[in-house]
Amino acid sequence: MKLALARALLRLFAVQGSYNYERMLGVGVGVAEEPLLRDLGEAQYRPAVARGAHFFNAHPYLIGLAVGAAARAEHDGASPHQVERLREALCGPLGSVGDRLVWAGWLPFLSGLTLVAIALGAGWMSVAAFLIVYNVGHVALRWWALRAGWTHGARVSVALHNPFLQRASAVLAPAMAFTIGAALPLTTQYLAWPFEAGARITFAIVAGLAFLALRWPGGAGHLNGLRLALGLAALALVVALIWP
Amino acid sequence: MTLPVELLIALLVWGTLVGIDLVSLPQMMIARPLVAGTIAGAILGDIPTGLKLGVIFELLQYDILPVGAVRYPEYGPATVAAVATAHASAGVLGLGLGALVGLVTGLIGGITINVLRRVNSRIVHAAAAALESGDPSALVRVHVGGLLRDAARAAIVTATGLFFAWLARPLLAGALTARGATLLAVAAIAAALAAGAAGTLRLVGRGPNLAWFAAGLGGGLLVAWLR
Repeated sequence: MKLALARALLRLFAVQGSYNYERMLGVGVGVAEEPLLRDLGEAQYRPAVARGAHFFNAHPYLIGLAVGAAARAEHDGASPHQVERLREALCGPLGSVGDRLVWAGWLPFLSGLTLVAIALGAGWMSVAAFLIVYNVGHVALRWWALRAGWTHGARVSVALHNPFLQRASAVLAPAMAFTIGAALPLTTQYLAWPFEAGARITFAIVAGLAFLALRWPGGAGHLNGLRLALGLAALALVVALIWP
Repeated sequence: MTLPVELLIALLVWGTLVGIDLVSLPQMMIARPLVAGTIAGAILGDIPTGLKLGVIFELLQYDILPVGAVRYPEYGPATVAAVATAHASAGVLGLGLGALVGLVTGLIGGITINVLRRVNSRIVHAAAAALESGDPSALVRVHVGGLLRDAARAAIVTATGLFFAWLARPLLAGALTARGATLLAVAAIAAALAAGAAGTLRLVGRGPNLAWFAAGLGGGLLVAWLR
């Protein structure tokens, strides 16, 4: 079974490869689960593979929990209805836990630290450190999720209440807020140094107004960073061309 | 931008890998602008420019939280194209033109991701009978097809960005004065900082983490002042 788990883990790295609006990550989940179902009897194998590819959406790093748990439930003789219910029940929690832990914690925390390091002159080494440290956590989380799902099967909610997950989320949120808070002024200094005094004043005014525009309650949903940046760049270009 | 063919190919390959990493495989965050820009800079022998453009687009990335089926711009290949543009024009002019090319490429990248997901939806819908039969080879075929389409998409986005990089210098560099170039760079960088700050505050919310954000901001200001 170790070989099957290793195969499933490798396939989990590509779980979003066929992302679509019909089954979301379902096809990828089915592909990742398939090696764990090979020792089921022929009568059970194909229906289990088909179930594995049904609609599924969650955080990609934690999907291993669902893959392992559903495969274990199939082995334990759970009914098709129970397996479907298990998958449905896992979508929401795996999404919210993963989003909080990774997208709103681990990733921006390390990214903020890297911005601070670059602004202080650490250069490319800080980017290499970001890549290594981030992926130690990334791979460990994927492996833990798959193992925990396979171990607990239908009782996988035990794994989701793991104190480490709760503690990590609780620590990473303030750490992320602190590091990005620190990174913003240092990054501003790093990016503004090629400009002369007059340009720096313009820079501060434009940044302040742009921030207010993005935080303006009425603008939410219409204005985002890309639209604002494109709009300001286009305006600057027009002004620069007609007023050289 | 006139680069040797081997460097253009290296940038195209790197941009493609970066584009695939964003969603499909393996999500190890080489798609983060900080990483994409630094390696693109290393390919061009100009790491400082790669770092600088990487920082600008990393700040813009804070505006995005990729939850559910949310649509977002793609800043990885965009950063590669931005670095290629900035490398061809020195100083502030390079920063401004690079940011402009990167922003347009990021917009196009985001649109292609949405188109790809729609195409995948049709293919999955058409293959529903094979998938419901539990045929593992059909399952793998649909999935690998999605991966290959994403690779093609990432290559096209990177090639488009590099094309814009090639166009930017002859079209714009000559037409911009030093003041105009500075204005363009100021606008792009200021917008990136604003997007970074606004996105972070959205993530932090109004709870206790806001105090941590304020403490970090104070600490950062102090260090910046002391330097």
